[in-house]
Amino acid sequence: MTRSTLGGAVLRGTVSTALMASLMSAPALAAPPVDLSKWSPEYVRSIAGTQDFDTAGDCAKVTPLDYKGRLTFWYQGVFEGDPDLLRQYYKDFFETFRKTYPNIQLEEQALTYNDLLDKFRTALLGNAAPMAVRLQILGGTEFASKGYLQPLKPEDVGYSTEDFWPGAMKAVTWDGVTYGIPTNNETMAFIWNADIFKRAGLDPDKAPATWDDVVKYSKQIHDKLGIAGYGLVARKNAGNTPYRFMPQLWAYGGGVFDEATANPTYKDIELNSAQSKAALQASYDMYVRDKSVPVSALTNQQADNQPLFLAGQLGMMISHPSDYNVMLDLQKKATGTDKDKAQTVIDNMRYGLIPTGPDGKRAVVFGGSNIHILKPEYVEGGKVDEPAAKAIICMWTSPEWSLKMAYAGSNPGNLNGFKTKWMKERLDSIKFLDVTTSMLPYGIPFPALPQSPEIMNIIVPDMLQNALTGAMTVDQAADDAAKKVKDLMGGGL
Amino acid sequence: MTIVSGKAEARRRLQSARPDVLRKMWEHRADYAYVLPAIAVMLVVIAYPIYYTIELSFFNTPPGLQLRDKIFVGLNNYTAILTSPVFWQVTLNTLIWTAASTFISFVLGFAAALALHRDFFGRGALRAILIIPWVISAVAASYIWKWIYHSDFGIIGAVLVELGWASRPPNFIDSVSTVLPSLIVVNIWREFPFAMIMMTAGLQTVPEQLLRAAKVDGANAWQRFWHVTFPHLRNVSTVTILLLAVANFNSFIIPWIMTGGGPSNASHIWITHIYELAFGRQRWGVASAYSVLLFIILMTLGYFYVRALSGNERKDGDA
Repeated sequence: MTRSTLGGAVLRGTVSTALMASLMSAPALAAPPVDLSKWSPEYVRSIAGTQDFDTAGDCAKVTPLDYKGRLTFWYQGVFEGDPDLLRQYYKDFFETFRKTYPNIQLEEQALTYNDLLDKFRTALLGNAAPMAVRLQILGGTEFASKGYLQPLKPEDVGYSTEDFWPGAMKAVTWDGVTYGIPTNNETMAFIWNADIFKRAGLDPDKAPATWDDVVKYSKQIHDKLGIAGYGLVARKNAGNTPYRFMPQLWAYGGGVFDEATANPTYKDIELNSAQSKAALQASYDMYVRDKSVPVSALTNQQADNQPLFLAGQLGMMISHPSDYNVMLDLQKKATGTDKDKAQTVIDNMRYGLIPTGPDGKRAVVFGGSNIHILKPEYVEGGKVDEPAAKAIICMWTSPEWSLKMAYAGSNPGNLNGFKTKWMKERLDSIKFLDVTTSMLPYGIPFPALPQSPEIMNIIVPDMLQNALTGAMTVDQAADDAAKKVKDLMGGGL
Repeated sequence: MTIVSGKAEARRRLQSARPDVLRKMWEHRADYAYVLPAIAVMLVVIAYPIYYTIELSFFNTPPGLQLRDKIFVGLNNYTAILTSPVFWQVTLNTLIWTAASTFISFVLGFAAALALHRDFFGRGALRAILIIPWVISAVAASYIWKWIYHSDFGIIGAVLVELGWASRPPNFIDSVSTVLPSLIVVNIWREFPFAMIMMTAGLQTVPEQLLRAAKVDGANAWQRFWHVTFPHLRNVSTVTILLLAVANFNSFIIPWIMTGGGPSNASHIWITHIYELAFGRQRWGVASAYSVLLFIILMTLGYFYVRALSGNERKDGDA
């Protein structure tokens, strides 16, 4: 079915012209605040703490501070796997917003990553959505393509498109129009326990260089120590699964489509290519052949791996820099000898770059979240208080708050956040932050397609489960998944 | 003698009945007014959703389109469901889940009711303890059982390994062959107190003098149970089984929270599969077609339930 019409073409033409015009405006022509070509941990350190920002003053230019209004707002908030530090920053943000805009009646609702999409979709069906929403990066395109979202670009809240990572901007663009602003960019790292490595006869200070090494190391740890080597996650309908499997898939040279290339077209399905099958085979080898990963991988999530890691029962995993803080939080809750054991694990925690594939390809999911404004017809009450929505968006995507709200877990959506004094403080206080900022250039966004949530949350985990349970062979599971993607893209039932 | 055809007679009866029906309705106008709000609410919250679900079942709803842009596909959703291997896998799971949960919950509940029917010290406390699984939240119970079953550090596995009865923790919910039985155990644990309560209530209606008379006539315990107690419990048993069956067909919380239908669809039952189709994959049309099929099955069960209740009432009336 085609949805292209003459009216649509004219509309797209008009929007494109408007977009071009906006790009020609002064802020858009301004140089990017950071030089991405120089990106390295040293560069990030050199720019940290070099600029001050007046958040309230900047946002007052977008929405006056005495503005009176009402805003309903849903956001992907903190969950059980997040550190207490992040909880505090979320609390601080809403308190600060209420102080800065005392006359805006804010009705916010936090939802976890795995619940937000379902609830938001249901609310939209009943025209009962909030006025503004902060969604995981995977969700924006689906809602933009369905026409639920208002066009919204950084310039609308006083920033420039160049203030944000180009990869992040791709995820909020559909049919040439920008429908949201990135709040944070997330790239994970590879974490291991040096003590476990040492006891298993591995170099304690060296991360596995390739995914084949991960398979080998995992087996060695399991065989020598009787504990799980690598923290595989394959639960369905859980964001953790694609965030851990896709880097492996891309590193082997596979993909769902060609999303790992510089200019993806999403035309050809690659899920059953030889490279994709090799990636799936690596998971199969760890789970079925070597039994070197947690048996609970099919029903657990990363939040289940964290206590395993802290208990010294897991050698390696992919996660955020925030896991260091999570471990500190968990250690505080431990009692007796468990406390000392946990401290040993924390002391032996090491971070490294995510391993490469056989051809030296390194990849990580370019994750994060974006913030959007809904069209009035889908909002409860039929009205959107745009100035109020822009006020909260301006604050959240400001250099200050986009950094603070990503303090321990990811990186600021607004690149100016890297220049703030809080970034300097963060580099000094959060161990291993360098590693995840170093992973940013390797970030690959999920395909910017409305079908992406189903592909990543259901089809890919199904493929893993089918192979790992023996319900299908690796080849059959990959072929089955590729067929499902093909049917989905063809608009099939 | 005038011969009146069957058709003419029926017409005559209808004509004479019409004013009678209208008169009766007018006489009971206050009664109708009392139930009108309830009927109006039911039309909005039950009748319309049913109609809309049936309508949606004839449409395709691709993820890139809003629901209002749905595409008419006739009976394709039904064809797609009935030809899908997943449907048959999920249907088999649902039948096993429902039959096993219902039957075992009923048997255990009945046994517990019989055991607790006799007076002994601590009976009240024991009865209260046995009711606990039924009164605690299903969500909380599911999370607790998920940890009890955990394939790496669940308490059952830890105890078995500690006692030397297993070299590694058993795989309860991460294996396609053990996941469904493991979930059924949790469901039975949750549901048998309900059967126990129902059967306890039923046992209290068995006339004591009949049991005494049977004893005087020389009937042993089994004969008294089989020929006196059980016939009195037939109707309450039917109702209990039907209620359990309907509840099990509609189960969602335990399988969804504990496994999300996995691994590899091995613990998907109809309701969880419908939920995933609708909310996870936005296949509102296919999910609606599934729901229509489930509705037909549940309505059939509902019919038998109402018949069983009517049977009870008739028997009570006869008595």
